[in-house]
Amino acid sequence: MSLDTHANPHHEHPDVVGSRNRLGVILILVADIAFALSILFVYFYLKGQNVNDMWLPKATEDTPAITPLSSLSSWYVTAIAAFGLLAHQFGLRGVRAANQTQLKLGGLVALVAALVATVYQNMQIANAPFTFYSGAYASCYYLITILNMVHLILTVFIAFGNWNRSRLGIYAHDHWHVDIVNIWWIWMTVSSLLGAFALSFA
Amino acid sequence: MTTLLNKTNKKALIERLNIFTAFALGALAAIVVWRLSLAFLPADSESAPLFTREDKITLLSMIAWFVGFMTGIGALIGPFRWVQGKDLTHEENMFYAGKDLGVKRYFRYTTDHKVVGIQYLVITMVIFGIGGILAMLIRTNLGTPGGGWIHPQAYNSIVGTHGIIMIVGTIIMVTGPFGNYIMPIMIGARDMAFPRLNALSFWLIVAAAIPLIWAQFIGGISTGWSAYNPLASQAPLGMNGYIMFICIFAISTMVAGANITTTVVRMRARGMTWNRTPIFIYGVVASVALALPAFPVFFLSQVMSGMDRALGTSFYNTALGGSGWLYENLFWIMGHPEVYVILIPAVAALMEMAPVFTRRPLFSFNVAVMGIAGICGLSVLVWAHHMYISGWAPLLNAPFMLTTELISVPTGMLFLVLVGTLWRGRLWMTVPTLSIFALLWNFMIGGITGIYLSDVPADAFLHGSMFVTAHFHYTLMGAGLTGAIAALIYWFPKMTGKMLNKRLSWIAFWLTQIGFNVAFIGMFFVGLQGQPRRVEAYADIFSKGNLITTIGAFTIMVGMLILLHAVISSWRSGVKAPMNPWHAKTLEWTVANPVPLENFEVLPTVTSDAYGYGRSK
Repeated sequence: MSLDTHANPHHEHPDVVGSRNRLGVILILVADIAFALSILFVYFYLKGQNVNDMWLPKATEDTPAITPLSSLSSWYVTAIAAFGLLAHQFGLRGVRAANQTQLKLGGLVALVAALVATVYQNMQIANAPFTFYSGAYASCYYLITILNMVHLILTVFIAFGNWNRSRLGIYAHDHWHVDIVNIWWIWMTVSSLLGAFALSFA
Repeated sequence: MTTLLNKTNKKALIERLNIFTAFALGALAAIVVWRLSLAFLPADSESAPLFTREDKITLLSMIAWFVGFMTGIGALIGPFRWVQGKDLTHEENMFYAGKDLGVKRYFRYTTDHKVVGIQYLVITMVIFGIGGILAMLIRTNLGTPGGGWIHPQAYNSIVGTHGIIMIVGTIIMVTGPFGNYIMPIMIGARDMAFPRLNALSFWLIVAAAIPLIWAQFIGGISTGWSAYNPLASQAPLGMNGYIMFICIFAISTMVAGANITTTVVRMRARGMTWNRTPIFIYGVVASVALALPAFPVFFLSQVMSGMDRALGTSFYNTALGGSGWLYENLFWIMGHPEVYVILIPAVAALMEMAPVFTRRPLFSFNVAVMGIAGICGLSVLVWAHHMYISGWAPLLNAPFMLTTELISVPTGMLFLVLVGTLWRGRLWMTVPTLSIFALLWNFMIGGITGIYLSDVPADAFLHGSMFVTAHFHYTLMGAGLTGAIAALIYWFPKMTGKMLNKRLSWIAFWLTQIGFNVAFIGMFFVGLQGQPRRVEAYADIFSKGNLITTIGAFTIMVGMLILLHAVISSWRSGVKAPMNPWHAKTLEWTVANPVPLENFEVLPTVTSDAYGYGRSK
């Protein structure tokens, strides 16, 4: 391999670093997307198979019949997540327009939305009228809602960091981090939507 | 020491954390959670499945170990500093890179890709060492018919542990040491795209190892490496160690996949177009890109396995609506691409060496790239050939037979590239050159027997037999490990600054290859005779083949010990290596020994491909 050399300062331009970071996050999300799609596969596979007619077990002497839950609460969680996404994008537009106040406000509202969605998701899990032992539907229900809960907890962590860094004025000259957090928000909302969609077909 | 110490008189937190604090915090967290779980977790109701409370305690303790270990090594500092808005300073980043830390940097959360590469090399050797010892136990036990001296339950666990540990070892054996140490220099970069993620991917493997060791003391892994459910749901507590091990390892693989791919896509030197990018880079990227979507599926299969055991869910429990076939599908959706995750970088490493030792250009670079791409594309469409006999979707057997047999076409393209490069080349007979011939021989046997196994009627007879065991050893060990050892010998001078002892490496090569072929051809014979795999005792009719296999296995062991001795002695007191001992043309050979912290003082600009050796007469 023949080559020339050129002087290159070790310091890289923020756009170079930013676009690299964005690609890295997208690739990590590829793994998370594969994970989420596998969960949907599990849900529809077990529902389709209905092995031993135990997708939704019928009543026995000891246990009542398992009936599918309304997916409405999952859609509520998705709606709150979508609201958080919109708030974050409002902040993102702010930082692109060099409006720090809009960035902070958007980040704060997004953080609150993430917290509310997390609490609501937790209530949905805690109030489910069945146990882990209650057949394949119940197992899948917990799997989907727990995955969403994990996503939401991560979102709270990220949204808090994003808001705190906005508050400290770190994003005054560089909005790459806010852009990348936006990618996470989009995926988190889509994954919540996929979960709600699946649970609508019990 | 670094400037961190000079700023204040007391050590900063990141200076205090190392492998010892990691083990201490991990162990402490595990013990605390174990005691608390024992005290506060309620007893199971009568309707709860077997093992549930004990499984909860075990899994919680293992999760606590994991969190404690990663905290103790310093993996969480970066994310928490980001949240606080206190990004790492240049001095702190240099500290993380291991600047002026000497040998201590190998025991810390060091981000320099060269340190991570060496860490991977050492852990790969340790993994192969442990896996090899287990293999010797298996072969010793099978040396005579009618059962040996190992208790059947312990034997099953040895087989399962040997399987999974060797699979993990082969997955990381090329992309770990050489993908980390060599690849960034080869593309003209100063480091990986995400140095802290790079360190994370390595330390996750260390964190994962402990649950696997732990498993051996609480019932072992008696299910074989595939851990099929519902068998795994009913296995002893040690199964939880397997589950944790896979989950943590899968995270490591995903992180490494994103990191390596980003590095290659975004950080290649100026002028290094895709046509000028060395073929080894294609192999590494193909491997990790294939693993990126495949391992989350494996991760999910184990999460559900853990939930079935600890929470009583019924993903795989048919009595409550679950399905064993679900596990088999999820497992093999990962399991077959994983074969190529192992093979592609090893073959690509040999394709990288072939032009160097024949002094001619790589024969048809484009065919090599198309072959790698073709394997990647087809490898995600073949998983159900592992399930012909399971009864799942018999109508799909024919399409899966077709896709499996089709994969021999792109694989054949890689053969063509290697043979074409060797053809009429001026061969420089080094161990890497011999390894190319060994790979062609071994992989041909592994590949052709694979075609038999992809054939539904033949598989009906051969499935679950020693024939299968011999087949996949021919591919993963005969081809994969041969390529990895050649890569070690080839890049050893750059990684250590020393030449690997030539005489010892020749002896090791021949002993290993002869032993290997003796061992596994013997195994083909007993497989064809009908000996099932994973059995602790067998009938007299199989004794001759098993004895031959055991003799071959011990020959491999001697070869491997000689290689280990060569590596250690050469590393410690070998002949000092010149900057470019093989007169190769890729960028890693343009930097000095030892490679400086940021590799290049000025970044290179590439103006031609890496295989400009002219044409042979």
